[in-house]
Amino acid sequence: MLKAGPQTLDLNVLETAMDANVTTRRQEPDARAETLVASYERAGYVRVAPAILQPAEPFLDLSGEDIRRRMYLTTAPDGDELCLRPDLTIPVSCDYLASPVSGRTANYCYLGPVFRHRSDAAAEFLQAGIESFGRADKAAADAEMMSLGLEATAHYGVSAPDIQIGDVALFASLIAGLDLPPAWKRRLIKDFNRKTNLAQDLDRLVLGGNNARPEYQGVLAALAGSDPKGAHALVTDLLSIAGINAVGGRSVGEIADRFLEQSALGASARLPREVRGLIERFLSIQGNPDEGAAALRALAREAKMTPALAPALDQFESRTGFLEARGIDVKRVRFSTAFGRGFDYYTGLVFELTDPKRTGDPLVAGGRYDELLTRLGAANAIPAVGFAVWIERLSVYGGGL
Amino acid sequence: MSEPLVLAVPAKGRLQENAEAFFARAGLTLIKPRGARDYRGAIAGLDGVEVAYLSASEITGQLAIGAVHLGVTGEDLVREMIPEADRRVVLIEGLGFGFANVVVAVPQAWIDVRTMSDIDDVTTSFRQHHDRKMRVATKYINLTRDFFSSHGIVDYRIVESSGATEGAPAAGTAEMIVDITTTGTTLAANGLKVVEDGTILRSQANLVAARGATWGKDERDLARAILDRVAAQARARAFREVRARFAASTDMLVENAKRKFNIETPFGGPSGSGVLTLHCPPDEVYALTNFLRENGAEAVAVAELGYVFSRDNPLYAKLEAGL
Repeated sequence: MLKAGPQTLDLNVLETAMDANVTTRRQEPDARAETLVASYERAGYVRVAPAILQPAEPFLDLSGEDIRRRMYLTTAPDGDELCLRPDLTIPVSCDYLASPVSGRTANYCYLGPVFRHRSDAAAEFLQAGIESFGRADKAAADAEMMSLGLEATAHYGVSAPDIQIGDVALFASLIAGLDLPPAWKRRLIKDFNRKTNLAQDLDRLVLGGNNARPEYQGVLAALAGSDPKGAHALVTDLLSIAGINAVGGRSVGEIADRFLEQSALGASARLPREVRGLIERFLSIQGNPDEGAAALRALAREAKMTPALAPALDQFESRTGFLEARGIDVKRVRFSTAFGRGFDYYTGLVFELTDPKRTGDPLVAGGRYDELLTRLGAANAIPAVGFAVWIERLSVYGGGL
Repeated sequence: MSEPLVLAVPAKGRLQENAEAFFARAGLTLIKPRGARDYRGAIAGLDGVEVAYLSASEITGQLAIGAVHLGVTGEDLVREMIPEADRRVVLIEGLGFGFANVVVAVPQAWIDVRTMSDIDDVTTSFRQHHDRKMRVATKYINLTRDFFSSHGIVDYRIVESSGATEGAPAAGTAEMIVDITTTGTTLAANGLKVVEDGTILRSQANLVAARGATWGKDERDLARAILDRVAAQARARAFREVRARFAASTDMLVENAKRKFNIETPFGGPSGSGVLTLHCPPDEVYALTNFLRENGAEAVAVAELGYVFSRDNPLYAKLEAGL
C-alpha cells in the first residue's frame, strides 16, 4: 500500500506529460504554418478550407488509378465513391469552379490535413499552398509562385534551398513541331509526363506498329500507298458490313483511323534515328535558366524548329526576367528540360524546392496546370498555377517565426 | 484441449466437389458429423482437425489474417485480395482443378488492337478524343492496376464489376474488361477477344497455408499428416509403376531409361529374383515398355499407384520453410 500511492502519482504525471507532448507536437508546427498562411493572406490570397471528404472521381481521373492504393476511399449509401482528400489542388479548383467567380481571376491559399497511405509515415499530414486562377500574365504569375514558395522555406529557416525547374511546354512544343506520326507524338508526350527519365528509355521505345496481325500485313502494305480517304472509307464500310457501329465506346471511324495509322507506321516500330538524336539532345539540356534558354535557341536554329519552339521559349525567358525582378538569383536556379513532376496535368512551369542536406524530398512543389480546370469541367480554358508546401517536412527545421 | 487445426474448404458448387474429391483421393474423407447442412466438419480418422466450409473469397480473407491454418482457394483471389501475398500466405500446391486465366479482353471489332502496347496507345488517344478515360470493368482491381502499370498504361479508369463483367462493353458501362476465362467461349459470345500478351495470371485452386495462424507443435504435426497424404497421392498420380524381370545386370539399362523417360527407381536396383520396379510418368509408359522389352524383358507389368509415401515430405518442407 505504501508503494501504491507514488505509483499512481507517477502514472498521472506520465499521462499529463504525454498530453503535453501530444499538444506540443500537434500545435507547434500548426502555429508556424498559421503565420505562413497569414502572410499569404496579407499578400492578397483568400484563405479557403475545402471539405475533407471529397468525391473520389476527380482524383482518380486526374492522377490515375495508381493513386487508388494510396487513397482512403469509402462508399456512400447511394453508391458514390468518396475519399479523404489526398491533396488540396483539386478540391480548391472544384470549389472555385462551383463559385460565382468561376472563370474570373481568383487567388487562394490554404492550410489543412491531407490523407495518403504511406508505409513509412503517418497517413494524415499537413499541407499549405496557393492556387492562382485566371491570371493572363502567366510568366509574372509563375515567378510570383516561386517567390512565395521560397518565402515558405525561408519561414522555416531554409533560406537557400535547391531550386529545380522544368517547363513541360518546351517538350510539348518540340514534339508538336516534329514530323512524326500521331501515334509517336501521343506516346512521347505520355512517357515524358509519366517517366522520371525518358532519355534513357528512348532507345528501347517501340510502338505497337509492327504488332498488326501478320494476316493483315498484306492489306496494310497495300493500303499504305493509297488515297487515305478511300482507305478510310473502305475500312469503315467493312466494319459496318460486319454490323459494327460503335463497340466499347470507340467509333468505327476511330478504329479505322488507327488501323490505317499502323499501316503508315510501316515495319519500323522504332523512332527514326535523327528524331531520336534530336530528342536526346533536347533532353540533355540543363544549367541555369539563361544557359538553358541559349542552348535551346541554338538547338532550335540548327533543327530549323525556331517557329515551333519560339512561343514557349519567349514565355520561358520572360519568366526568368520576372524571377530576377523579384530578387531571385537565377544563377542558383537549376533548369533541366527533362524535369517533370510525373503528373500529366502540368502544362508549363514545374518546380521543386528541396534541401539536399536532408532527404531531398520536395519541401515545396508546384507548377502551371492550364488544362486542369477544363478537365474538371470548365467550359473555357482557365490559366492556373500554384504550389503545395510540405509543412511536415519543413517543421523538422529549427527556423522560427 | 488444444485448439484445432482449421482447414477451410469451399462451401458450394464445383469447387467444393473438386476439393472433397481431391482430399478423398489423398485418403482424407471430409465428414459432417452434424449433418450435410452444417458448415463445420472434420476429417475421418484425423482428430484435431476442424473443417470450415466458407466461400472462396472468405477463405482467402481468413488465410490473410491467419484465422484458419490451411485453405483451398484460387490463386487469382490470393493475388487480388491479399496485398504482398507471399508475406502472408504460402501457396503449397496447385490442386489441378479450378483452372482459370485472368485476362484482358477487348471488343473483337478493335481490329487495330492486338497487344498491350496497342492498348497503351488506344487508351491515350481515347482520352484525347473523348475527354474522358477508357473504362476497364473488373472485379480484379489490384491485379488490373499492377498489370496495367507494368505496361506503362495510365489513361484508364477501373469500374468495379461484381458479375457478368463480359457484358460491360456491350452495355456501354466500360470499353474493355479484365476477367477470368477458362475456354474463352463466354468472351467470344460477347464479342470480345483476349489481348495476346494480356494474360495476367494463370490461376488454379491451391492448397494455401496462413503464415499468421498459430503454428504450435500440434498444428504442425497435423499439417504434416495432411500434407504427407496429399504428397503421397500427388506422387502416385504423377507415376505408373512398371515392373519387369531381367536375367542379366540392369545397371546400364536403368541409367539409359532414366535419361530417356524420366523414370525413378523407388526401391533401387532389382530384387533378388531379378524384378526391377520403376516409376514412370504416365505419358512415357508405352515407350518405356517397348524399351524394356527390346532390352531383354520377357513381360512388363504396369499398374496405377494408390499412394507413394517417401521419407521426405516436400509439401510439408515447403510449408515449414514459409512459416
